[in-house]
Amino acid sequence: MKYVILIHSNPQPWGHPTDRFTEEGRAQSEEFHAASAQQFDALMEEINASGEFVTAMALADPASSTLYGWSPANGGEHLRTDGPYAETKEQLAGFFMIDCATRERAEEIAEHFAQPGGTVELRPAMWGDGDDQ
Amino acid sequence: MTTSDAYEDVWRAAWPHVLAALLRRYGDFEACEDAVQEALLAAARQWPDEGTPDDPKAWLVRVASRRLIDARRSERARAGREDTVAELVEPGPASERDDSLALLLLCCHPALSRPSQVALTLRAVGGLSTDRIARAFLVPEPTMAQRISRAKARLRELDAPFAVPPPAELPARVAAVAHVLYLVFTEGHTATVGAGLVDVSLADEAIRLARRLHELLPSDPEVAGLLALMLLTDARRPARLADDGSLVPLADQDRSQWDRALVAEGVALVEAALPTGPVGPYQLQAAIAAVHDEAPSAAETDWVQIEVLYGMLADLAPGPVVTLNHAVAVAETRGPQAGLAMVEPLLDDPALRRTHRVHAVHAHLLERAGRVDEARAAYTRAARLATSVPEQRYLSARAAGET
Repeated sequence: MKYVILIHSNPQPWGHPTDRFTEEGRAQSEEFHAASAQQFDALMEEINASGEFVTAMALADPASSTLYGWSPANGGEHLRTDGPYAETKEQLAGFFMIDCATRERAEEIAEHFAQPGGTVELRPAMWGDGDDQ
Repeated sequence: MTTSDAYEDVWRAAWPHVLAALLRRYGDFEACEDAVQEALLAAARQWPDEGTPDDPKAWLVRVASRRLIDARRSERARAGREDTVAELVEPGPASERDDSLALLLLCCHPALSRPSQVALTLRAVGGLSTDRIARAFLVPEPTMAQRISRAKARLRELDAPFAVPPPAELPARVAAVAHVLYLVFTEGHTATVGAGLVDVSLADEAIRLARRLHELLPSDPEVAGLLALMLLTDARRPARLADDGSLVPLADQDRSQWDRALVAEGVALVEAALPTGPVGPYQLQAAIAAVHDEAPSAAETDWVQIEVLYGMLADLAPGPVVTLNHAVAVAETRGPQAGLAMVEPLLDDPALRRTHRVHAVHAHLLERAGRVDEARAAYTRAARLATSVPEQRYLSARAAGET
């Protein structure tokens, strides 16, 4: 089963790792950040070795995105505007894709991504054609 | 047909034997596999002009061994060391049976994670290219390449022996191989959508490898059960999807489309296996699939027998998924109330509550009990949790009251 781990965060200024740039993250000590970076490396090592890690990507500042909308005018007009997509505080900052045997295992991995300032979302990918029974 | 297609059957049949012969002699997975690759490239260059050799396997073993020996010699020359004659001898003939089994067991070594075992088995025993395995599992090729090379590195770290383990360890090791092949099969079975994009049928590959395992261990009843289960499930493949890609539930499938030859083969296997030794979960699941496959129509299904078989499976390998399937059979023999009584405690089960299946079964039994509104609510819950498009479409239609 494939899952994506979505990192929603509000780094100011935009930057990675996001927890270094959030208000809550900045309030933490250097030791805290060093320890969590180490734990993160250990997790990545583990899921790389187990083959569960599929891919990951950090995303650039949402202000740099371009948005394409659609309007019924003129037989389906394409509307182009500048980002960010949503005027919400937290934005999609990056994602990880994992491939796990069970949902429990995916949850076990995802909870390691929790960090000061931001919310981590685990979401299953749609997959295959299912079971006929 | 290109040249590589023309030789592919020969290569894929020869690959595991050639790799196994080298591994038995030299041990280093990575180096042996590189040498086999090089031998195959040499074959692609030479066979079209010189003709396919009388014994392609022996030819490939000889060429691959020379490549490996040459590589080692130049490594040693660089390191300024003397050749050790004993290590540079080409491997002699050995039992193909032992080699094949040792290779399967090595790929499914207990120190490797399941995804790694699956990938390595398809690569080393199945002879599939990394690119094709990656496409079949819808992961990027570098991801799959890394998964496979990490697995090989781990085997090297462990210095895992290339040999059939002692009899006491064999059943557990064979059980791991069976589980890996079953995972390949179920992944293949659920990934047939977009067949144009996925040119590797994992289900076919799993069946091919399970046949091989059954040839190697003909008296292991669980291996026979595994192969039977795959054949009896695969027999229904032509009827599983409607023309628009939607899923057809077992009860509504056009049984005339089922592959009767596969059903007959599966039934014969499980009937031969059941009386011979300890009854295991694969044999029981195969027996259940056989009862479904032999029913002339859904209405004529022998649910009493299925319920008995699920009862045995629940004793042998208890778990919430087995209980859920058992409940479906109980609902057929003793009515929806009896089934609901078994399903309701499962709705909060940590392993099941986030899967669509428990809610879909719940919905179906509520519907049969005439509790229409509750059934629709349960179908809605099931549709939200479904992670396959055809299943989600089917469940949403039921939630909307369409059938």
